[in-house]
Amino acid sequence: MDPLFLAYSYFRRRKYQQCADICTQLLEKNPYDQATWTLKTRALTGQVYVDEVDWDEEGIAEMLMDDNVTAQIARPGTSLRQPGTGQGAVSQGVRPMSQSGRPVSGFVRPGTQSGRPGTMEQAIKTPRTAHTARPVTSASGRFVRLGTASMLSNPDGPFINLARLNFAKYAARPGLAKALFEYIFHHENDVRNALELAALGTEACQFKDWWWKVQLAKCYYRLGMYHDCIQQLKSSLKHQDMIDTYLYLCKAYVRLDQPLTAIDFYKQGLEKFASDTSLSSGIARIYEGLNEMDNAVKFYKDVLRVDNMHVEAIACIATHHFYTDQPEVALKFYRRLLQMGVYNAELFNNLGLCCFYAQQYDMTLTCFERALSLADENTVSEIWFNIGHVALGIGDMNLAYQAFRITLSNNNDHAEAYNNLGVLEMRKGHVDMARAFFQAAYVIAPHMYEPHYNWAQLSDQLGDLQSSYNSAKRAVDAFKDHVDSKELLKQLQHHFALL
Amino acid sequence: MSTVDLAKQPVQENKSEPKPSKWLDAYHDPVASLYTFTQCITLSDIQADGDWKLIIADLGSGSTNMKLKVYKGTDLISENTIIDLPTGVVTFYMDTHEPRTPAIAVASGPFIYIYKNLRPYFKFTLPPLEVNSMEEDLWNQVKEGRINVYVLREMLEGMRTDGTTLTVRSLRYLQLTDAGDMIQFCEVYKNSPLKRQTVITSLNTLKKSMSEDDAISCLVLGTEDKSIYVLDPEAFTVLATMNLPSVPVFLSVTGMFDVEYRIVVACRNGCIYTLKRGVEDISKNCIELSSQIVGMERLNKTIYVACMDQTLKCFTSKGKKMWTVKLPKSITTIEVVDYKPRGFKAILVALSSAEVHVYKEKYLVDIIKTDDIVTAMRFGRFGREDGTLVMCTSSGGLLIKILKRSASFEEKDMSGGPPASQNVKLNVPKKTKLFVDQALRERENGVTMHRTFQRDLYLLRLNTARQYAKALSNSMNPISTDPSEPLKLSAQIQGIGPTFKLTVNLQNTSLSQASTKLHITFDYDDKLYNFRRTYIPVPMLVPGLNYAFETYIECLNDKGVSDTVKVYVLRENKSVPIITGVISMPVSETLVVV
Repeated sequence: MDPLFLAYSYFRRRKYQQCADICTQLLEKNPYDQATWTLKTRALTGQVYVDEVDWDEEGIAEMLMDDNVTAQIARPGTSLRQPGTGQGAVSQGVRPMSQSGRPVSGFVRPGTQSGRPGTMEQAIKTPRTAHTARPVTSASGRFVRLGTASMLSNPDGPFINLARLNFAKYAARPGLAKALFEYIFHHENDVRNALELAALGTEACQFKDWWWKVQLAKCYYRLGMYHDCIQQLKSSLKHQDMIDTYLYLCKAYVRLDQPLTAIDFYKQGLEKFASDTSLSSGIARIYEGLNEMDNAVKFYKDVLRVDNMHVEAIACIATHHFYTDQPEVALKFYRRLLQMGVYNAELFNNLGLCCFYAQQYDMTLTCFERALSLADENTVSEIWFNIGHVALGIGDMNLAYQAFRITLSNNNDHAEAYNNLGVLEMRKGHVDMARAFFQAAYVIAPHMYEPHYNWAQLSDQLGDLQSSYNSAKRAVDAFKDHVDSKELLKQLQHHFALL
Repeated sequence: MSTVDLAKQPVQENKSEPKPSKWLDAYHDPVASLYTFTQCITLSDIQADGDWKLIIADLGSGSTNMKLKVYKGTDLISENTIIDLPTGVVTFYMDTHEPRTPAIAVASGPFIYIYKNLRPYFKFTLPPLEVNSMEEDLWNQVKEGRINVYVLREMLEGMRTDGTTLTVRSLRYLQLTDAGDMIQFCEVYKNSPLKRQTVITSLNTLKKSMSEDDAISCLVLGTEDKSIYVLDPEAFTVLATMNLPSVPVFLSVTGMFDVEYRIVVACRNGCIYTLKRGVEDISKNCIELSSQIVGMERLNKTIYVACMDQTLKCFTSKGKKMWTVKLPKSITTIEVVDYKPRGFKAILVALSSAEVHVYKEKYLVDIIKTDDIVTAMRFGRFGREDGTLVMCTSSGGLLIKILKRSASFEEKDMSGGPPASQNVKLNVPKKTKLFVDQALRERENGVTMHRTFQRDLYLLRLNTARQYAKALSNSMNPISTDPSEPLKLSAQIQGIGPTFKLTVNLQNTSLSQASTKLHITFDYDDKLYNFRRTYIPVPMLVPGLNYAFETYIECLNDKGVSDTVKVYVLRENKSVPIITGVISMPVSETLVVV
């Protein structure tokens, strides 16, 4: 068989390594074989290809040294940095919040695990659920590692020596130039050279090729020049409507913290591509980030109408129903996920909780048992925590206590478990123990209002009104509509003012 | 009849055309570094040139740098150092000489300093109080060397616990604990006579026999020994002394000393007393309040009192309560506005929300927003302008605003009506068909469901107990269960790599028992990590305190691999750790090449 044909076949079957090997052999015989050269470039790119339109985790540098913010204090409901300020936001008392005040999502994706940290100290602390620290910048976290990995696999140096390439020559030949660009951008991760090539490429086709404009935009995005990026993308859309372009445009707008503009563009995209799930799920994600759950669920439902196997949409709708007091509906959605073949600890844990709150007791504990057997070390603590909650629900304090203690032994930084243990100790009358637990909880997770309030309540009972007052104030800072904390504050203020 | 109204913001006008402010900004210096209270600000024509000056007694840092400052316009024209903390500043006419220049009186400690033409003129000292005979006797014995310093200390201590008011010298002596200090103290002071002096708490003026603006006035002082003194302005002798049940803090005076006068005194016990000429029994006209007083002003025949419970109360001069207004934030100070050209009278209330509310009667007519909390303000004539408001803020700023001559204040009653939240419906989800179906299933299979659940529950309990026992036997808990070792551990990792900082927080959770002989050590993969300190000795842990121990960890691998690290807290001569913390190490960042 013709080796080039075989290589093509490997390439189509995504066996990039074999494809590249054959191409290397062919190129040894004839180094000027353009077809082989292009194929090898594409094969090498394919090995490290990342879907650029997907959302990425914001790095520490992007968050703390953000110079793209237009307003420090945005109008309510227009910024992803201050979620929950718009209309119809869910209450923190009903649905737990992440550090940034955003409700926990039903689906773990980049950017949902922890919020925007307020201080450098918070930023460099390890986020609890992720079990990895945040990357320094999003430009380094993912791309550099992939780039270096592929470098190591080539002991005899890089395939293409970028320094010796004459970009102008390649740019004039679109067939080669496009493959070369992707190679430079994805494999070499050399944005500056990629930008140069893209600039020459778009010039070579009289600024009429939408593809080059999108590539230029990608380079600008990587370099943090979001406004230039948006300009190129809009110009590209004039030539050709592409879903990718719309997604990229919205990604840039989200980075600029203009979620409402991003939604507008998603909607424009939906007018052209009416049944595309990535566009409508994009809108839903933004609404979720803005804490407008009703709108988010509406768009997730739109997604399901087109693609009824969309895991993210099902999971998010289920979570919404669970937290709006309809566990029986949530149960239905989670069962759907199970039927689709999702088989992991998190799902069984959620099923167990839904069964318990929907009063289907016979299924509850079986689900938890299965969740425990499937759990890895990161999730096992969460499952024990939920078992503790079920135990609280049936009034078995001893079981609850043990479950929370097991949670802590699996994850030392589980603030919620510390808080609940504190409450249990308080009920038993072990004041000093309860005090230590509450202190631990609010040191680990200052964004949670519960330990602050509990600590205030405990201090109030002990007669330490000053710490009670300070703590109640912190609770109100964390959750400004918490009625009990406010009541306590009022009581204390009255007490202080009284003669 | 009293009513409690909730203070509401004046109804907002249409957003597009904001209401023009009724005040002109005359001067704003956010870094004037003036720290003062309302009692220590006054406005007066001290040079008799028709240009009114601003006189401020600056508290400085509270112990140093106390100054009397005089501003002409925005320029500081004079500065005099005050030795002790000033408690009040007034100006008064003490003679009938021409030109009519008033004197400045500054109350500070037991003294009143009089300044004339911006120069120190006279110092008045309060008459000394009677010293307890036993205390005097004790100090005499020390002087003669009959008793030593310890006996003196013991006796004085006894007298203090009996409730005798001691002199400042004895009180200072009781603060000393070192024997050498006590002997030295006695040596220095035993030969000077023992005096008991009181401290002035409030200062005001009272016209002597004429009611003109520039008539001669007496000084009225409230002191810490619960009395009010009236001083003659020419000879500086005490004209009258009045005793009160508590320490006076705010004074308000009307009338003339020789004819008829009325002194309203707010006291530290939360009562307001009215003193009149010739009336001995003061308890009759007493207003008792439920909260501490933060300010008191009088307008015509009504008394306005600001209390610590965020209320502004109004009383008639007879002591009848007229109304109470609840304010949104706590009150810092109040001041009266008497703007004669327009006949406008109101009360200014400074709040801790950095706002000044203007109340006409009980109606809120205006809000002045400031960029800091106002702690002192004075309304009156400044320069050549009649309606000037001088404000000092808690960060030391000075703000001067002028009331616009065209300003008109409309009063509106903004109370009444049910709150808007009453009409909001609760978001109760509908009962779904699914729920009904499931409830039906539950009803039909109740017994089997219960049995299954109970069986599962037993299994779960067993499983949990096993896990728990395992965690206990491995001491895998960050909190010890052993009652003899009540410890709690929490560990945090900070940093982005390759060097991380590990902070181990240890807390002794018992109430009284201290923990000793503890050690911290770590369990880690030495191919992956390098600890700068692998062993940390722990000092004695005092109950309730949080101890932090730190070490640095270096990640030796740049492939993005991470592992868990265990922290053990061990007791001497015991191989099993008391508590263990498990830390999942974050992935170390490689060098950033963009």
